[in-house]
Amino acid sequence: MARWLTALVLAFTLLITSCAPTSPSPYEQVQQESSQRNAPPAVSRKATQGSEFNRFFPPQENGFERIYVQEKKGFAEAKLKKDGKELAMLAISDTISTPEAAAKFQHSTLQIAGYPAVEVGTTQTAVLVANRYQVKVLSRDPSFTASDRKAWIEKFDLAGLAQLAP
Amino acid sequence: MSEAIYKIVDQLPTGGITVMALKSLDFIIPGQWQNIVGFDNTIRHVTGETDPALIRQIGDRAVRLFNDKSQGYQRALWLYQTVDNTDTLLGAAALANKVGEKISFLGFLDKMTPKPERAQSIDLSIKLIVEILAFCQINGIPGNSLGDFLRALADYSGESLMRMAALICFDGLIPLGPDFLLKCLGTLQSLQPGDLQENPTFRAIGSVVPGGNPSGQLGFILQSFNAVQGWMNQFVSGHELTPQKVINSLQSFIELSKDNLDYLGAFLDMSTNYYYHTGVQTLARRLIERAVAEI
Repeated sequence: MARWLTALVLAFTLLITSCAPTSPSPYEQVQQESSQRNAPPAVSRKATQGSEFNRFFPPQENGFERIYVQEKKGFAEAKLKKDGKELAMLAISDTISTPEAAAKFQHSTLQIAGYPAVEVGTTQTAVLVANRYQVKVLSRDPSFTASDRKAWIEKFDLAGLAQLAP
Repeated sequence: MSEAIYKIVDQLPTGGITVMALKSLDFIIPGQWQNIVGFDNTIRHVTGETDPALIRQIGDRAVRLFNDKSQGYQRALWLYQTVDNTDTLLGAAALANKVGEKISFLGFLDKMTPKPERAQSIDLSIKLIVEILAFCQINGIPGNSLGDFLRALADYSGESLMRMAALICFDGLIPLGPDFLLKCLGTLQSLQPGDLQENPTFRAIGSVVPGGNPSGQLGFILQSFNAVQGWMNQFVSGHELTPQKVINSLQSFIELSKDNLDYLGAFLDMSTNYYYHTGVQTLARRLIERAVAEI
């Protein structure tokens, strides 16, 4: 009898502990949305190839090293280094896949090189070129400030990039 | 369908044999690798941002990018998973719970067989190929991928550099000795195309190895190995690495005696999944770097 009781108690304990609620991840909804059948792709088929963006990046100069690190559809990114130290990331993305990224420029009062500009968080500065391509510089070292980010955005061939927009 | 990326990153362990083994290599590349785990934590670490709403926005985009199969991230994950063949894990979880106690594998000696040199050489070169393939899946860089990979290899840092250090130490120096590169090259040169099929990992990933047919694939492997061996050689000589130095460092947490050194390589192979662990960390970092730049 005692043995049965123990088994019963153990079984209940297992049942209770296994049913203990685990707080759902905040990403569960987006996971469901983006993994179901016929989910919209994260990257639009119409997005410009990343390889098209490479030539508009700032040239290497004054000991600054620019290393291309990612080149995907609708996206290209390079790392900016000096004396072996990682200072910033430079990126161009096609907002055709991310309309909300383009929308954030609608209320911007800031301009860089004549393009609408925004500061995001504490490490990012971005401009929207031809209402389509986002150029972003992201600090990776505290010594690389917002004014450095602005200066490096201006070094991109933004006018050339604007020509790429259909 | 792959498991959710945030779950995969959240589930990376903070301790255990894999983490301890990797930490023991810190003496080679001091401070390069921190065991960053947890999805949001990785976002904070990679981007330097702290605002929860912004972290969430970056995370959402990263989840979407990962789930878009055309973007290659899921295939990269599959490659890292396959090459580590976690099925062979030797009760790692159980062993890992012995906090503060050295791990002894003496009790498992009868379950382990040191791999013959030839099998070990093929293993090493296949891990290298997987690194090249996963790199291209994660970062893109079409065209002459191998050349771009080499340029990027020179810039490897953090968990990617640690993965390469572990490859050199745990799959090269320890099982094959100081002249592991020569041994490996010798083996590869003596292989017939059909021999690759003997290797279970190759059988699993063969469909994605470029080359068209077995002989072309062997050619690709040889070419890749040739291209990367200079970098590996430099890594070994630049850090004055020897099997003994690596073994000394491992001894801080694994109980070893002179009699069972032959089994150390087999033990590490069976009890760690460092390729998967650091591979997920690399994948998460790149995904987050892209997500934060795109939002």
